[in-house]
Amino acid sequence: MAESAYSFSLTTFSPSGKLVQIEHALNAVNQGATSLGIKARDGVVIATEKKLPSVLVDKDSVKKIVQLTPEIGVIYSGMGPDSRILVRKARKAAQTYFMTYNERIPVAQLVREVATVMQEFTQSGGVRPFGVSLLIAGYDSHGPQLYQADPSGTFFAWKASAIGKNMTDAKEFLEKRYAEDMLLEDAIGAALLTLKEGFEGAMDEDNIEVGIVGKDHEFRCLSKSEIKDYLEEIL
Amino acid sequence: MSISTYNGAAIIAMSGKDCVAIGCDLRLGIQNQTLATDFKKVYKIHDRLYLGLAGLATDALTLNQRFQFKHNMYKLREERNMKPATFAHMVSKTLYEKRFGPYFVEPVIAGIDDDGTPYITGMDSLGAMETSKDFMVAGTAPNSLWGVCESFYRPNLGADDLFETISQCLLSGVDRDALSGWGAVVYVIAKDKSFVRTLKGRMD
Amino acid sequence: MASTRLNVPGLDGRCAGASRAAATLALGGADLASLAGGSPVASEFPLPAVQDLDRFENNVQELVKPEHGTTTLGFIFRDGVIIAVDSRASQGSYVSSQTVKKVIEINPYLVGTMAGGAADCAFWQRNLGMQCRMFELKNKKRITVCAASKMLANTMYSYKGMGLSMGSMIGGWDPSGPAIYYVDSDGQRTKGTIFSVGSGSLYAYGVLDQGYKWDMDVDTAVELGQRAIYHAQFRDAVSGGTCSVYHITKDGWTKIRGNNHYDMHYQYYPGGHPTAANDVI
Repeated sequence: MAESAYSFSLTTFSPSGKLVQIEHALNAVNQGATSLGIKARDGVVIATEKKLPSVLVDKDSVKKIVQLTPEIGVIYSGMGPDSRILVRKARKAAQTYFMTYNERIPVAQLVREVATVMQEFTQSGGVRPFGVSLLIAGYDSHGPQLYQADPSGTFFAWKASAIGKNMTDAKEFLEKRYAEDMLLEDAIGAALLTLKEGFEGAMDEDNIEVGIVGKDHEFRCLSKSEIKDYLEEIL
Repeated sequence: MSISTYNGAAIIAMSGKDCVAIGCDLRLGIQNQTLATDFKKVYKIHDRLYLGLAGLATDALTLNQRFQFKHNMYKLREERNMKPATFAHMVSKTLYEKRFGPYFVEPVIAGIDDDGTPYITGMDSLGAMETSKDFMVAGTAPNSLWGVCESFYRPNLGADDLFETISQCLLSGVDRDALSGWGAVVYVIAKDKSFVRTLKGRMD
Repeated sequence: MASTRLNVPGLDGRCAGASRAAATLALGGADLASLAGGSPVASEFPLPAVQDLDRFENNVQELVKPEHGTTTLGFIFRDGVIIAVDSRASQGSYVSSQTVKKVIEINPYLVGTMAGGAADCAFWQRNLGMQCRMFELKNKKRITVCAASKMLANTMYSYKGMGLSMGSMIGGWDPSGPAIYYVDSDGQRTKGTIFSVGSGSLYAYGVLDQGYKWDMDVDTAVELGQRAIYHAQFRDAVSGGTCSVYHITKDGWTKIRGNNHYDMHYQYYPGGHPTAANDVI
C-alpha cells in the first residue's frame, strides 16, 4: 500500500532540471540502426538499415517499415519491441479517427497522437520512456509530410532528417544533398546515397528497407527488385 | 404523447448548383400551446455548414452545444473547419453513442465543400444517415414537407431560385401541420454569397 | 314506441347521401311526444352485435374523433348576442381543413356552435332544426332559445354513454330577449352570458373577460369577439383558419365578419408579434 501511494515516475527531474531517463532513452535510440527520411515535392521517402544479429535469421520475416494508414508509414530507430507498442497505438488512433469522421487521419494528427503517448510515458508512474525515435511519412490533403518524434514526446516536421547510429553524419550529408524542388525519384536516390555513407559492409537490397508515398496517397515499401534497380542507378 | 412531437418543428434542406439552402419554422410549443415564435432550429457550425435539429427542443439545444464544442476542439486541433461529410459522420456517431437512451432529435445537415459542392444529409435519432442529392426534411410534418418538395424541387437551381423554392415549400408544408409554422427562417449557403432571410408566415 | 310514426314529406329528399339512413332512422324514432321536447331513442340506431358494447364504443371513439381543436365563443351584451368561431379541423396534429363552418344556422333566429365531433354536432343540430320547425308548425310560434337548447340537451342525455362528442352553444333571440345556453354531450345545459368552448377556450376567455363590457356598441363587441378568437388561434395549435363573427338581434342573426388569420395577424401586429423577442437576423 505504501508502495503504491509513493510509487511515482522514474523520470524525476534532476536538480539541474534535466530528465536523465529521457536522455538515456535517446542514447538507446542513438545506438539503433540508422534511419532517414526525405520530403520531396511530390512525395516522401523513408529508409533504414536492416542489420540482423545472425545470418541464421530469416531476413524476409523482418519488416522494419510498417504502415499506419493507407497513406502513412513509419520507421523507427532504437528498440524494436518498444516501436511495436507505438505502432499499435497509432493504428488504433487512426482507426478511431476514421470511425468518428469517416475520413483518413491527417499526418499531423496521427503524429500528435503518437507523440502524446510518448510524452505520457515520461510522466506516468510505473513506466519508462520509449527507447525509440520515429520517422513518420505521409501524404494527405495538406501535401507530403515527414515528421520525427522522440522519446520525450517532442515532434517536428522536417524536410529531411535522420535518426540512429549515424544520425549526425547522415544529417550533415542530407543538408548538402537536399534541394527544395527535389522530386521523389531524386529523393530516393539521395536517401540511398546517405544511407550508404557510414554503412558497415556492402549495402544491398537485403539489408535495407525503403518506403515511399507519392501523389497517389498510397504508402508502400519498395520491393527488393525495385531497391536493386535504384542501387544500381546510384552506384 | 409522443416525445418527438412535444415541441413541434419543421426543417427542410435543399441543394442547388454550387449552393445549398436550409430552413426551419419558428414555433416553440408545449404540445398544443404555442410558447414562442422566434425559436430557430437551424444552427451555424461554420460559414459553409449549418445544422438543423428537429424534435425535442431541450435535446436539440444540448446537442447543438455539444457539436459546437466538438467543432471548436476540431478547429483547434486541426486548424481547419470540418467538411460537411466529416461533420455528418461525427453527428451520426455521437447519436449512436446514446443508442439505448437517445437524444430525441432528427438532424438535417446542409453545407458546401471548399469547391462549392453541395452536401445535404438527414438522419434519425440514432444516427442512421440518409444522404440525399436533392432535398431532406425533418420535423412534425414530414408528409406535407416531402410532398411539396417532391412537387416543387428542380435540380441545379441558383441561389435565388433555390431560396424561393425552399421558402414556398416550407410555408406550404407547415400549413397542414398544427405543431409547426408561425414564421420561418431560411439560410442559403453559396461559395461567394450566403444569406439568411426571415419569412412571414401564417400565425395560427 | 316506434309504432307511431310521423310522416314528413320530402325529408328524405333533403337529407344528403350518407346521412339519409341515419336521419330517417332518427326521424323514425321521433313520435309526437318526442317532437314536443323529447328525442329519438338510442335503439333506433342499429347497435353493433358485440358482447361488450361499452368497450367497443370506446374503441370506435378513438377511430372517429376528428375536429378536436376548436375555439368558439358567445356573449350577450347591450345590443344582442355575439357568436365568434374559428374554422380549423384537425386529426391529431394534421390540419384536415381550414374552412370548416362551425356556426350552424338552425333557423333565422337561432344558431348553434360546433366543438367536439364534427359529425355529432352537425347531425344533431340539423335534427334540432327539424324539431324546432316541427314545434313552429305545431304551435304557430317560434321556439324559445330555452326550449330549443333543452331539446338538444335531452337528445344528448338520451345518448349518454354512447360516445357522442359535442360542446355547443345555442344562441338566439326570442320574445324574452337574447339568450345563450351551453349544451354538451354529457347532457349538461347551462344558461349564461359569456361562454367559450373548445381547446382554445381558455385563451379566448382571457381576452373576453378582460375586454367585456355590457354597454359596448356593436362594433366594439364584434371586434372583441374577433380579437378573442384571433388570440386563441395564435396560442392554440389546433385552432386556426379564419374567424367568423355573428351578431344576433331581435331581427335574427347576421354574419358580420369572416377574416383570415394571416390578415388579422399582420393587421394587429404589422411589426411582428410581441412573442418574437429577437430581431430579424
